[in-house]
Amino acid sequence: MDFKTAFEQLTPSLLEALGLVVTLALLSFVLALTIGMLVALGRLSKVRSLQVVLIAFLEIVRGTPLLVQLLYVYYVLPEIISYIVGIWVPGYHMNISAFTASIIGLGVNYGCYLSEVFRSSIQAIDKGQLEAAKALGYTSRKAMWHIVIPQSIRIALPPLGNYFNAMLKDTSLCAFITLGEIILKTQAYASQTFLTIESYTIAALIYLIVSIPLGQAIRIMERRLRRHV
Amino acid sequence: MSKIMVTIQDLHKRFGENEILKGIDLSISQGEKVAIIGPSGSGKSTFLRCINYLEQPTSGTVMIEDKKFAEPNQKANEKHVASLRQEVGMVFQSFNLYPHKTALENVMAALITIRKIPKGQAIKIAETFLQKVGLANRKDHYPSQLSGGQQQRVAIARALAMEPKVMLFDEATSALDPQLVGEVLQVIRELANEGMTMVLVTHEMKFAREVADRIIFMDGGVIVEEGEPDTFFTNPKHPRTKEFLQQVGN
Repeated sequence: MDFKTAFEQLTPSLLEALGLVVTLALLSFVLALTIGMLVALGRLSKVRSLQVVLIAFLEIVRGTPLLVQLLYVYYVLPEIISYIVGIWVPGYHMNISAFTASIIGLGVNYGCYLSEVFRSSIQAIDKGQLEAAKALGYTSRKAMWHIVIPQSIRIALPPLGNYFNAMLKDTSLCAFITLGEIILKTQAYASQTFLTIESYTIAALIYLIVSIPLGQAIRIMERRLRRHV
Repeated sequence: MSKIMVTIQDLHKRFGENEILKGIDLSISQGEKVAIIGPSGSGKSTFLRCINYLEQPTSGTVMIEDKKFAEPNQKANEKHVASLRQEVGMVFQSFNLYPHKTALENVMAALITIRKIPKGQAIKIAETFLQKVGLANRKDHYPSQLSGGQQQRVAIARALAMEPKVMLFDEATSALDPQLVGEVLQVIRELANEGMTMVLVTHEMKFAREVADRIIFMDGGVIVEEGEPDTFFTNPKHPRTKEFLQQVGN
């Protein structure tokens, strides 16, 4: 066992990778929140054809592994787009960076799960809230954004926090599409030095030092926001 | 002859096969207080909710002053309905205060979002109306920190702050503990004395008799009998009215 060497050599690059991972998770989560809210509102709308399309989309995304989706966005999607655009623009070839592909893959995948969180939290708000707002002159849309959604966010917050925490760890799958994040760096170091136990233990600890305080922060925020609901 | 504030013509409301309102005509003058009574299932709450189009009538017309919510048999325009609703305040049985906002924020929210009044001014207006319902000292409390009676008074202040021309009360005291009913009725009574045009669906017969200028008895989706309160209660004409008044122990 040589934790000292592994710690000195590996930790700096892992902390750097951690910066990348946190940035990736934040950007992906913003995308996921946007997709999640739009899908939720679409499913709550009364447009039947839109609902059918969205349900099909949800089933596909939730029915396939995140890893497959990442591989698809990174390797397959650029090929398809290049082929289609190539019909009009000969010789066109699309390039996508591992980082962009990671944001899209994580964002779309988590967006689908978050849409269910948003949808159920909106449905959990008493119908009387919408009626009270309407009676005061709000349109349905305004009542939704000003009265219903702010309340539903309070209900959605704990599951949203948990999903963010899960996403932070799922960024490790991006190693498969060559993103230089924590696991890819750990793997490279471990295979060079044979410090297997040390390397992966340090990698695990890096995840823990972020996710444990994050869990605590979510609990405190939850308590504050839910005081009057 | 005073101005007509609310006109309802041949109002029908159907839920699937079930016809709840079977043709109602009614006009309400400015300053008039109308109490609607009747057995549960008679359609009185549905009728009240049609007056501000929270329920869209299946057919018929509702007018506030000279403005229709929608042309008969045409789909209502949501923006138009929303803007006309500002003229009609409504108080619900279950208060429906926003739980995540303080009393003051509850009252001022629509002033800012709908009336586009600047925040500082909205706060002043909201404070005035909380004062009016006797809750100025509770303005920073959340609904969960208020009694049922206080919550309902905040709800009344919230509706009044929009300066509606008509107020609708949908069983405003039915969800309250008996000892809290009085404070809410007192607020409604004061409002009546100030000349507000009001329509009340209520189970409080004594209160209806005291405050209303006209009592409407509904049963089976129609207006069975209406009249001036003293005559109505002492000398009801229709057998259904007599039966109902007997049942409620009048």
